[in-house]
Amino acid sequence: MFDTLIAGLLRGNVYALGAVGISLVFGVMNVVNFAQFSFFGLGAMLAWFFVVKLGVSFWIALPAVLVICAALGLLINVSVVRPLARYLPLAAMLSTYAVAQILDNVSQLAFTAQFQTFPAVLPTSNFQIGNMRFGTSDVVMLGITAAVMVSMSLFLKFGKTGRAIRATAQDQEAALQVGIPVGTVQNLSFLIASALGGLAGIFFSLYIGVVSPTSGLNIGMTAFVAATLGGLGSLVGAVIGGFVLGILEAFGIYLFGDAARQILVFVILIVVLIVRPGGLLGKVPLISSEPLTGTFLGKGRPLRIPRWVWPAAFVVGGVLVPVFADSYVLTTGTQVLIYAIIAAGFTVTAGQAGVIALGQAGPIAIGAYTSAIISVYLHVPFWAALPIAGLAAAVIASILASPIWGVKGHYISIATLGLGIAIVAAIQLIVPQAIYDIPVPSIGGIALNTPLAYYVIDFVVLAITLLVMWRIRRSHLGKVISSVGSDEVAALASGVRVRDYKALAFAVSAFFAGIGGSLLAHQYTYIDTTIFTMMMSLLVVTIVILGGVSLPYGAVVGSIILIGAMELLRFTPEWRIIVYGLVLILVVRFRPGGILVRNS
Amino acid sequence: MSRPQRRALLATAVIAAAALALTGCSLSASAGDSSASAKDGSTVYFGVSAAITGQYAQYGQQFKEAFDLAVEQVNKDGGIDGHPVALKYEDSQSDPKQSVTVAQKFVNDSDVVLVFGDYSSAASIPASPIYTAGKLVQYGFNNSNPDFTAKGTEYQWSTSITTSASYEWTADYVKKQGVDTVGVSYLNTSDWGVPAFAAFKAEADKIGLKITDAEAVDPTSDDYRPSLTKAVAAKPDAFVHIGYGPDAAKLVTQLRAIGYDGTFYGGQDEQSFDGTPDAEGSIVGAQFIETSTDPAVSSFVKAFKKKYPDEADVTGFEAGAYDALNVAVAAAKAGGITRDGILKGFTAVKDVPSVVYGKITFDPETRRVADPQLTPTILKGGKWVEYKG
Repeated sequence: MFDTLIAGLLRGNVYALGAVGISLVFGVMNVVNFAQFSFFGLGAMLAWFFVVKLGVSFWIALPAVLVICAALGLLINVSVVRPLARYLPLAAMLSTYAVAQILDNVSQLAFTAQFQTFPAVLPTSNFQIGNMRFGTSDVVMLGITAAVMVSMSLFLKFGKTGRAIRATAQDQEAALQVGIPVGTVQNLSFLIASALGGLAGIFFSLYIGVVSPTSGLNIGMTAFVAATLGGLGSLVGAVIGGFVLGILEAFGIYLFGDAARQILVFVILIVVLIVRPGGLLGKVPLISSEPLTGTFLGKGRPLRIPRWVWPAAFVVGGVLVPVFADSYVLTTGTQVLIYAIIAAGFTVTAGQAGVIALGQAGPIAIGAYTSAIISVYLHVPFWAALPIAGLAAAVIASILASPIWGVKGHYISIATLGLGIAIVAAIQLIVPQAIYDIPVPSIGGIALNTPLAYYVIDFVVLAITLLVMWRIRRSHLGKVISSVGSDEVAALASGVRVRDYKALAFAVSAFFAGIGGSLLAHQYTYIDTTIFTMMMSLLVVTIVILGGVSLPYGAVVGSIILIGAMELLRFTPEWRIIVYGLVLILVVRFRPGGILVRNS
Repeated sequence: MSRPQRRALLATAVIAAAALALTGCSLSASAGDSSASAKDGSTVYFGVSAAITGQYAQYGQQFKEAFDLAVEQVNKDGGIDGHPVALKYEDSQSDPKQSVTVAQKFVNDSDVVLVFGDYSSAASIPASPIYTAGKLVQYGFNNSNPDFTAKGTEYQWSTSITTSASYEWTADYVKKQGVDTVGVSYLNTSDWGVPAFAAFKAEADKIGLKITDAEAVDPTSDDYRPSLTKAVAAKPDAFVHIGYGPDAAKLVTQLRAIGYDGTFYGGQDEQSFDGTPDAEGSIVGAQFIETSTDPAVSSFVKAFKKKYPDEADVTGFEAGAYDALNVAVAAAKAGGITRDGILKGFTAVKDVPSVVYGKITFDPETRRVADPQLTPTILKGGKWVEYKG
């Protein structure tokens, strides 16, 4: 019992440090900073490099790493995040994701991808309480965290700059009016957050003993949840969130096993958000809009599309490509088309209802598994399994998501992100083995398993998807959903049951996600849960945002660019992801509202 | 035209260009021709589908180093009957979305006569139907999941020992060491950890090795203490981890931190945790031992360290890739440097020299190495040495 508590405290310590950084940046800039995740990995790798490779003393390496992380953070904020955050937090969030990709891959080029053993700088097991051994190292870590937290809170409470940070967090415009240099304050916050991220990374590697450039992702994700749990923007909340999550997680794992960890983390998050929609210590603004709505539509510069483009695109995609393209292009095409189906369906949630759900991998996985299971074990033909997969995804995902529609703003994104991860983790618990030999589509006993056949099937499904989405947009229902996204308060005031329409939009999106999952399953003929990752969810969101968030056909363009570009960049394997990240940043920088936008 | 409009137009132009480039490739590359002509002295190409970036990049890097070394040696010795060997790498990130397009790309490239990969089963198996349709041998030299070949066709081959074989061996070996009860942790992954544990448990039940508690752990977790506390609560004689090096490193450190002192068995890719002080005394059934006195092994290790002086260890991953290239070359020599020839070569080759198995002969039924053996090794002073306990 006591052992588990100590284990919880130690992991909570790392989460708390990370969460404070995330909350700080969110508070002053209203941006969810994915790059913070990379600072964990980077801090750890830099510390390893200094101590092991250069033979520098740990106590010199520690401040050096913090300075490097802080400087990098400043650079990122000035060059990428701040120019976007000023008028479009969502685009800034997307660009921090691109920055995170770049940082991870640069770190991998610099330090190689190998797991490295982190030296034990201080004794790690010289004390014992009960069965639990811990060391000077753990005590020093807790001590440093406590010191950092106390000095941070004193600084924020009494320091001049600290008060400026708090003022900026409360009301940016008012802060500007009373003469606070908001830009400098934001830079400073980003700098502090990055240094804290680096520090958390170092502590984390001291505690775990093994580091790699990508080791930040998982701990970053949990720290992010901790920040949300405490209330985004609240620093005390972040600390409490970190420790609460660490301890609950430790006991949860003890009771239910590590396999249930991810489910547990997000169940805790969702329960807290239902009870307190703004997190433990966060304030829920009386009137809050989704991060995507309101100003968002007005910002975009619409791209007028001449009428002839539609039939032309149809001819190119449906006739020219199948006739002339080779099977490599067709296979790439199938992936583009399937993601376009998923993303086009998602525009009704992200664009019209204004809910950036970050967990589409969940319904995709439900669709894939449903389709695979009923066709393998019940011998349901593909053509029937496909719509059933969509329905199953819509029904199951809607039931699971039903508690979260009262949650608002960024919180709903994080709740859905959690939902996606938890769904996949739950599937892993229910169906631990992979599914093999999923039947390919066939007509009259003839297997349709060539790249061309898959392409044509996917193309037809996409065409139907776009048609359905177009009809929904044009219908009364679509207009109501759009009203929820455009101005939630006005919609509510006009008697629209906002919550229900968000849920409905989500169900429609989940249906198409399920269809996409089914198509993937029957094409791969094999599925396991490692396919349905958080990266998959983020890819869907990125496609939608890139293409123009509320336009189904924009999703097609986004899918061509994001999946096609990965293939086009094959000439430079090591730099592929880095170039990809840069392209993403440039697109977001110059078309922050998406490539195709319309302002109606 | 206003400025925004012009910019928008520019953006469309860029997209259109990208789209054109995508479709444009299609017009240039001709469809795959499986019977590539064997011109004198022409280069023989093998494809490699592996993770060069992303979370599995570590393994892609290890493969590449060993492949490059092997290619260098083969070409120095005259290649395949005078034809030099070269590799074409494609990054799949070990992601099925990309491994299927990589597969199609290789199938269409008539120069490529065999493909190595992918790293994980989740990326390899979805690509298998494409290789089969393209009549191109998919040599999943790292796919320990038995179903890669069992559910595959005559085009899927592997020299990796299957997880079921290696964990049945582990159960037998642990029991032979006089251990009666074990605590177990295994990776909760459907393509690897779950079937591996199922094989271990079946064998353990058969031979009367009692599993006091088995904890499924998430490979991306970092803190296993709560699971471990539970796994060793019944004070088992020994602990078995069915997983990889990086998670084993964290696990063994934390296992010692919670005060458990029994022998730690397991963790494939054992070299990733030999630097962990707490791992001292761990026992692993290894296929490849760097410190082996076998002349073939020591000359490989020497050549490897000469080419890559920064690499502290030579692991089973490098050895497996090194072997794989030599097996492919042997198959090409036996059957010819076409896709058909290589396929025939795989059934024909016998006793190919190997740094992992000594000699490799395939069982044509399973398309795996016939009767693979493991050697118990123990970690002593940061080095894995053969254990004769």
